[in-house]
Amino acid sequence: MRIRTGLFLLASIGLVLAVSNAGLAQRGSSILLASTPAATTARIVAAAQAVVATLDEAGRAKVQFPFDGPQKTRWSNLPSGIFQRQGLRLGDLTPAQRTAVMSLLSTALSQEGYRKVTEIMRGDEVLRTADGGGASRGGAAPAGVAPGGAPAPGAPAGGRARGGRGGGGGVIFGQDEYFLAFVGTPSTSTPWMLQFGGHHLAINLTLAGSQASMTPSLQAAQPAIYTFEGREIRPLGRENDKGFELINALDAAARSQAILGYQVSDLVLGPGQDGRVIQPEGVRASTLSPAQQNLLMEIVREWAGIAHESFAEPRMAQLRANLPDTYFAWSGPTTNGSVMYYRIQGPTLVIEYAPQGTVDHIHTIYRDPTNDYGAKLAAK
Amino acid sequence: MRSSRRNSGRLAVVVALIVAAGAGVSGHRLDEYLQAARISLAPDRVQIELDLTPGIALAESIGREIDRDGSGAISPDEAAAYAEAVRHALRLAIDGTPIAPELVDSRFPMPEAMRAGEGMIRLHFAAPLPRLGAGAHELRYRNAHHPDIGVYLANALVPESSRVLITGQERDVDQRDLTIAYVLQPEPALGARLWLLGVVTSTLTLLFLVRRRHRPRAKSDSQGEE
Repeated sequence: MRIRTGLFLLASIGLVLAVSNAGLAQRGSSILLASTPAATTARIVAAAQAVVATLDEAGRAKVQFPFDGPQKTRWSNLPSGIFQRQGLRLGDLTPAQRTAVMSLLSTALSQEGYRKVTEIMRGDEVLRTADGGGASRGGAAPAGVAPGGAPAPGAPAGGRARGGRGGGGGVIFGQDEYFLAFVGTPSTSTPWMLQFGGHHLAINLTLAGSQASMTPSLQAAQPAIYTFEGREIRPLGRENDKGFELINALDAAARSQAILGYQVSDLVLGPGQDGRVIQPEGVRASTLSPAQQNLLMEIVREWAGIAHESFAEPRMAQLRANLPDTYFAWSGPTTNGSVMYYRIQGPTLVIEYAPQGTVDHIHTIYRDPTNDYGAKLAAK
Repeated sequence: MRSSRRNSGRLAVVVALIVAAGAGVSGHRLDEYLQAARISLAPDRVQIELDLTPGIALAESIGREIDRDGSGAISPDEAAAYAEAVRHALRLAIDGTPIAPELVDSRFPMPEAMRAGEGMIRLHFAAPLPRLGAGAHELRYRNAHHPDIGVYLANALVPESSRVLITGQERDVDQRDLTIAYVLQPEPALGARLWLLGVVTSTLTLLFLVRRRHRPRAKSDSQGEE
């Protein structure tokens, strides 16, 4: 009986060890998959080339821009009809082309970053369909991006409406109105930029071999809360909640330094404000407790972590090293659900979170005043 | 004229779509006039970059204010007149003494862009500062342009000169009023710079002489052995 019990115990231990080992192996393989920054760049380049391979000559001409041309800084939070973007418009693509574009985004961004991007786009579709916010140029507008990012099965490719675009012909919302551009030729060694944006979204990811910069970039949301497939979606919900968590974790002295005595009704360093550095305000992170500093870094991760982990982790390390010279400023009430504004500013960082008069419409910006558009990378 | 009517028609469509969207793009300034100022301080000069963005529902009225002859285009004279009106609405004072900003540059959007709500008027003002002594100073800025519809932002930029150290910014709740407290570091005096140059030159000369004195005299030593 004892021998049988012993054998049973040994077998159980062996099973547990085997399962653990398999788990570790799996984790190890995922670590390997996370790979080095250079390998990530190579995968992004391959995904970009896969997009190009789906295009005809006209499409290739549309997506490609010179690295040192004006396209680099041509982005906006505004919807089509007010702001005219250039590049490949999702609504003009076939399902296969659209799948390739979304696959490129999922390769270039972290899982969390990709979620955020697709939820912002889907929110714009909600704005279009639920609120009657503008007609799609394509006439029969496709639902576009399915939960996984690929075109919804059977969704028409969309297309251009009569009379072309722009020129004040109307504000246009929806998932079709997002544009992809390559600023510079996708390369594993020389600098180039993956640019993707539309209403409430601007991703400017500059890659140079093993290095990357995802600034400036803009994430915004309207509606800030909506329901999709029975789930409540808040594209920028964590940015909101973590902000409130930090301000309420501060003691009275730190809070009084953090809270600004005036209203901030918009982004200070939004689109068009490249190269400007405002005087920092608020509470200095060096005066915060380690726990409060960690909360601050968790807010920062919401923006720095949009890029693929290979690039996000070195960036987070840089921002943590600069933490003593980083400031946190807040304007507005401190009860979650209120309209408030906050800013995080350090030597290589500006983050602003700015509701547009309502909690249901948020604008945010993420900058590195020393390395916007990968200026440092391009200079090397 | 026909172009102007067509543009008005387009604007009506745009506004209608936005209103139909409820809150819609009201966040993109429907009925507010965003006026964002960035102020840069140098030891002898202050500069103001002022970006004016009329909300889409205001673009027509602000457009009429600028385009006085209703031609549908903004002439240089009309642009200058509007910039002058804005300049008059600005108040600047250094240590309580008013100073007058002058227009340096202005950029007006195409009327159509402004009517579509995209247009941003960019004005650049500057004013020389009187000769200020080292120590604490205060620059006060106030913007009274269109207080009826204005929404304001006002921020000091990080000074380029290491002599200017901003120590605080005080605003009213609406940010129409901004007071920048700063410390002006003393200018390195010419005498001090000459003294430093003299010390460096003397030290280098002394070093040269000492090394020369201790250098072995190979030729004369060999002559001595003979």
